Amino acid sequence: MQQYIKSAIILVCIILTSCEDVIDVTVPTSAPRLVIEASLDWQKGTTGNNQTVKLSTSTPYFENTTNSAVTNATVTVTNENTGNVYNFVNENNGNYTINNFQPIIGNTYSLEIIYNNEIYTATEKMISVSPIKRVEQSLEGGFDDDVLDVSIFWDDPVDEENYYLLVFYEQGDIVATFEDFPDEFVNGNELDEFFEKERDDDDEFEEFNPGDVVEISLYGVSKQFDYYASLLIEQYDSAGDPFSTIPGKLKGNCVNITNPDNVPFGYFRLSEFDKVVYTFQ
Amino acid sequence: MKQSLLGLCLLFSWVVTAQNFTVRGKVKDAKNGETLMGATVFLKGTTNGAITNNYGFYSLTAVKGNYTLVVSYMGYQEITKSIILNENLEFNFELNELSESLDEVVITADEPERISIKKPQMSVSKLKASTIKQMPAVLGEVDVIKSIQMLPGVTNNGEGSPGFNVRGGAVDQNLVLLDEAIIYNTSHFFGFFSVFNNDAIKDIKLYKGDIPANFGGRVSSVLDVHQKDGNSKQFALTGGIGLISSRLTAEAPLFSNKGSFLIAGRSSYAHLFMKGMDEFKDDKISFYDLNLKTNYSINKNNKIYLSGYFGRDVFDINNIIKNNYGNASGNLRWNHIFNDKLFSNLSLIYSKYDYQIVLDFVELDWVADIVNYNLKYDFKYYLNNNLKLDFGLSSIFYNLNPGEVKPTSASSPVNPLKLDEKRALESGLYISAEHKISNKLTAQYGLRLSRFNRLGGQPITNYLNNLPVVYNNQFDIYEAGEATSETNFSTNKSIKTFNNLEPRLGLSYQLNQASSIKASYTRSAQYLHLLSNTTSVTPVDVWTPSGKFIKPQLSNQYALGYYKNFNNQKYTLELETYYKTTSNRIDYIDGSDLIGNNNIETEILNGEARAYGLEFLLRKNTGKLTGWLAYTLSKSEQRTLGGNAGGPGINNGNWYNTPYDRTHDVSVTGIYKLNDSWSFSANAVFQTGRPVTYPNAQYQYEGLSIASFGNRNESRLPAYHRLDVSATYKPKKNLNRKLQGEWVFGVYNAYNRRNAASISFLQNQDTGVNEANRLSIFGIIPSITYNFKF
Repeated sequence: MQQYIKSAIILVCIILTSCEDVIDVTVPTSAPRLVIEASLDWQKGTTGNNQTVKLSTSTPYFENTTNSAVTNATVTVTNENTGNVYNFVNENNGNYTINNFQPIIGNTYSLEIIYNNEIYTATEKMISVSPIKRVEQSLEGGFDDDVLDVSIFWDDPVDEENYYLLVFYEQGDIVATFEDFPDEFVNGNELDEFFEKERDDDDEFEEFNPGDVVEISLYGVSKQFDYYASLLIEQYDSAGDPFSTIPGKLKGNCVNITNPDNVPFGYFRLSEFDKVVYTFQ
Repeated sequence: MKQSLLGLCLLFSWVVTAQNFTVRGKVKDAKNGETLMGATVFLKGTTNGAITNNYGFYSLTAVKGNYTLVVSYMGYQEITKSIILNENLEFNFELNELSESLDEVVITADEPERISIKKPQMSVSKLKASTIKQMPAVLGEVDVIKSIQMLPGVTNNGEGSPGFNVRGGAVDQNLVLLDEAIIYNTSHFFGFFSVFNNDAIKDIKLYKGDIPANFGGRVSSVLDVHQKDGNSKQFALTGGIGLISSRLTAEAPLFSNKGSFLIAGRSSYAHLFMKGMDEFKDDKISFYDLNLKTNYSINKNNKIYLSGYFGRDVFDINNIIKNNYGNASGNLRWNHIFNDKLFSNLSLIYSKYDYQIVLDFVELDWVADIVNYNLKYDFKYYLNNNLKLDFGLSSIFYNLNPGEVKPTSASSPVNPLKLDEKRALESGLYISAEHKISNKLTAQYGLRLSRFNRLGGQPITNYLNNLPVVYNNQFDIYEAGEATSETNFSTNKSIKTFNNLEPRLGLSYQLNQASSIKASYTRSAQYLHLLSNTTSVTPVDVWTPSGKFIKPQLSNQYALGYYKNFNNQKYTLELETYYKTTSNRIDYIDGSDLIGNNNIETEILNGEARAYGLEFLLRKNTGKLTGWLAYTLSKSEQRTLGGNAGGPGINNGNWYNTPYDRTHDVSVTGIYKLNDSWSFSANAVFQTGRPVTYPNAQYQYEGLSIASFGNRNESRLPAYHRLDVSATYKPKKNLNRKLQGEWVFGVYNAYNRRNAASISFLQNQDTGVNEANRLSIFGIIPSITYNFKF
């Protein structure tokens, strides 16, 4: 909702003026911090036994070497309802993996990471998601009626607050597109979301063409994660433009209990998700 | 002691009055019959004088005797008249403009005459429409809001951002009045152009501090814009054709010269060209506005004015996004002169701002508006030579509809939603005296009593421990408090009432014939707040009234100034310093969501702001070259503590720069009149960059490179500077024809400085590398405009 209204204004602004260029800017630098990418995602129809937690450290904003993997930590996840403890295996490349994880909808899990003699913890619930009912390709669904778009459809449960994370990824791209979707204004309805790429007159492959393959995932997430993701996505897409909110500090659900001021980045999330792979006709 | 002294002064004044007679009347422009406000009426050889009020009225009282009355107004020929004051007299004067006949005198802003240096009013800037017209403007669109930014202490967030900031204050802290009606959004095209059509405007006054007691409701400034009354001498048609818009103004006498009217229209026409361009054929971007004014003199003591404004912006992007917004206002006034000394004006004012967004692709229609009705009764009592009184009362009823969402089709996934409508009544009662204590010392002291009543007719959420925002200790974030219940306030109940006493004090001490010092103190209260957590104010930002959770902003401003005329008033120097504090200035918690939010109180924390600075203004008033140099050195900060919500607050409870902080701000405006045909003008601006928040780290999350931002507003955009020039050519007038034309050639941003309106930090989607993207709005922009008078 907010995004729509904002994107409307930005679009108008872009039409009025489009003098954007890339410049060199000196930005402040802060000390490196631990980044926790603990997304324990369970695809519908799979066991969810294989999971990975990625650990790294933050780097200066314009530093291009992104090899900041953390290889000397221990990662443990506990199911607070069953008492099951999962000790993740250090792969020595920043990945910590496990192959016997038991995902249970509605159960509460806790994460514990020990890194540089400091203990980081987080707690989160495993959230379910409605299945993707269908996928449709059209011209009219998106902003521009001249380019192809793809939409997914699902039913929103009426008797609860639901929060969704959508990830659109076109095979071959460097990054995926993320969207957060609370049912705030649309509770209990059949919901849909489209994915479209802007036409670029210099690059006819920029927009979707027949044969392009996209992967669309729909995650069920908690209210707190939605809050985190909405901020993260907004700042990622538009940080600093005139109609964006003043960028703030992103704080996930992970806490450093040894040294609370050394706040980690990232999030501990447990989501059920549904995924479709679609080839444009 | 002070009170008894004051009483004594008053008593003394009364005693002296007994022997006196009064001369009164109006001062007008001889050519078009427009009343002149701020003209001086003066008894030669005495210190006794008066300045015409907003309706051109003056009243002057002196001891019986023979005098020479001098009537003057900057840029006009002085009139002198011998009078024998042995009874109460009435004289109306009509002054002739100088510039038509004499080359060497060119009109410029304020009139630096004898009285103004003595007048205790300080921190005020006045610009005449004719001055504003001569300043270079972007795309040739003469712009009131941009022109006041050339004055010291006035800035804005850069091109393409609406409104203006005065002495480090926010956009919503300015009271903008067009013929007394509140204008809620001063911009067309999201800030590119102002809503004021200069052809319909007589003059503007900007109070940056020392706000007179008759104004209330905003803590930073008052921009008082007066529309022309309309030519009462003859029919006149003026207009212009520019690159962006065209204008046409018609004015004429009415009712056998007992009245006159003015009607002015302006419309952009870019959308006409867009139809022709394939790429934009389905898009429409346009704005238009209409100004109306008419007046009728019933008799010499009664006059009625009716003025109106209607303006609108319309955007339609390929039928996908439709957006339109605008202001509408109307004012019916009755001027009544009770007697030689008592002048009154009764106004009934309406104003409205509304916007609508239709998003076709989600089948959603969003509307919001603010409407107010204002009844105002003002009096001016010219008690005697030493004491003038202003008093009056006003009452404003507000109805705010913060937003309504409607699905535009049956298949839309959007559920209808209407945010609670809010209602409030703001009342004010004031009295103010301008008191000449001695020949050198003049004081202006006043008191405003304001009362704000947030009316019922809506539910109010109650929160656990009465905390709408709570600090989450574990994650170090602020989040919404737990709603426990709702209290329904019926329409005849009031939710919350605030009362504030707002003293206003100004002193002027004349050091000698040419210089004076002034000091002032202003306390003011603001009950309406514009909710905006974005970098720039946007048209969709919502006005919200004070109430159970949002307290009124209260500000104290102290100012001290030194004023000097030199070289026979060829130059004037104004030096002012100020210190301002504002309490209850709200700021937004990280990640606040204001759109479509019925419980705004869960997104904000109560803070405070302070600003201080030094302003320098040197003006050259006469000669072929006129203009001014303005320099401001200032600081504007705010602090937002956790308060009842707990926690350290925003930015760990430290003071941080407001987005309006500019350490240095230099501007130069010059107008050079070469001869009758050619004149040239230039603006130059240099400003410290705007405080912004830059990232101080990046990290990888879900395959994205995420920026981590540092402390709020701790970095700055690059410095802002530019130069504009323009040339005006008036072809020799053909005496047989009434038509007088004029060509204006302009270049905005002459050396094509790419000033950053913003810098956004983004990961390049093709390379994956982080980049800083500069958005600059106007590069070098040439323009040509043709103006005509008929």
